Amino acid sequence: MKDTLKKVLIVEDERPLREALRDILTNSGFSVLEAGEGEKGLALALTEHPDIILLDLMMPKMNGTEMLKRLRADIWGKDAAVIVLTNLSADSGELVRNVVRGTPLFFLVKSDWNIHDVVDKVQEVLTR
Amino acid sequence: MKAETLSHLQGTDALAKAVLESLGEGVIVIDTAGKVALLNRAAEEMMGWKSFEVVGRGVEDVIQKETEEGEHIPYKDYILKKILEGKEIIVPVTKPYWFKRRDGSRFPASLVATAVRYDNHIVGAVEVFRDVTGEQEVDRAKTEFVSLASHQLRTPLSAVNWYAEMLMAGDAGELNEKQRKYMDEIYHGNQRMVELVNALLNVSRLEMATFVVEPEPTNVMTLVRSVLDELKPMVDKKYQTLTPTFSPDLPLIPADPRLLRIVFQNLLSNAVKYSAEGGKVECAVSCKKETGRLSIRVSDNGMGIPQSQQNQIFLKLFRADNVRETDTEGTGLGLYIVKSIVEHSGGTIRFESIENKGTTFFVELPLGKV
Repeated sequence: MKDTLKKVLIVEDERPLREALRDILTNSGFSVLEAGEGEKGLALALTEHPDIILLDLMMPKMNGTEMLKRLRADIWGKDAAVIVLTNLSADSGELVRNVVRGTPLFFLVKSDWNIHDVVDKVQEVLTR
Repeated sequence: MKAETLSHLQGTDALAKAVLESLGEGVIVIDTAGKVALLNRAAEEMMGWKSFEVVGRGVEDVIQKETEEGEHIPYKDYILKKILEGKEIIVPVTKPYWFKRRDGSRFPASLVATAVRYDNHIVGAVEVFRDVTGEQEVDRAKTEFVSLASHQLRTPLSAVNWYAEMLMAGDAGELNEKQRKYMDEIYHGNQRMVELVNALLNVSRLEMATFVVEPEPTNVMTLVRSVLDELKPMVDKKYQTLTPTFSPDLPLIPADPRLLRIVFQNLLSNAVKYSAEGGKVECAVSCKKETGRLSIRVSDNGMGIPQSQQNQIFLKLFRADNVRETDTEGTGLGLYIVKSIVEHSGGTIRFESIENKGTTFFVELPLGKV
């Protein structure tokens, strides 16, 4: 049974946000992996091959933009499903260009998004 | 003549020369053939050339220019060249040119160029420029501050939001009625905070002009509909009707969808918020091809703006007395933001309003600017 659960990787340095996502996704029937920064996030992504990655941008050690860039350089990672979940507004040209280059499926601003809607977004991506 | 005061120099060439050499801005003068006729001391220092080395040489060899991205700008695109051709441009350059020094290093410069006339003929052109590295750094620091502040303010707000939502949804067990009510208050208060932070961020971005206008082919109809969808819960709750009308020939227009959305979002949510139950809100969008303008009209039959306060309605943080009485939650930033965006884009906004009858806002935007 466990093998059939869809695997979500949460890469988020803010513990309260990470745990909120973990709890709700676990309750919604996902198997959840967590990383508190980009380096660990990348390592987990490349070894565990999650079905989808929720990626924060501003993080210590390795930020989300860099992690996304490295992920896309990997043969598995180049097509991995990624939703950027950040509190940075998509209004800096540079930021947007760098993130867009990593072709995430969505760019969601956390404070504008209801957590249940984030879960719906994850479901939507995984049932495509 | 030994001149010790300015008045000794009055009426002599020496005065002009002394002033020119003392200017803090770089000055370069070219003749009609594009050859350097004069370089003042500040320009010498900024560029690394001595005047005698460059007089008579083509200006494009002395001051090479490029874009921020390092793309070479050919002489034919120099503003100096255009001025020699008789084009009336006095350029407040918004995006700086990058000037290359003799040693190959470069700096961002803002410049003003004008024609030199003698006997009604253009005999040359003069460019006055200065290094704006400092201004650019300040601008960058401000931008960074805003993005950092946005991140820092929104992160705790997201945490409160998400946990409140989960509690209300019963994700941690059912709440009793009282608990639900209290949670609802927490959630609602936090939502106001989120909106306030978003509005403040928009304001700071506008004021710092870090709003990058990125036009792309935009389907205005879809954009307006998505705003209407967002407002639907509020509209339904108040039994209002909100009818959009679009001129049939509305094409994909070049506009920045994020900015345009903020305009619609504010005008429409105000119309809904400040109209009574059963009220009527209309939104008409048309594109006038002949004028190249997008026209937006948003009207309601709500409480209106008191005559005596109509001249203050676009001021930052201003809220009219009648809305402050009925609704304590607004920020007073919405119309200020809308006006800033509209004017930043070269458009116009005006309104007609009668208290207790309703308000209509008219916005005209040049295509390709928002």
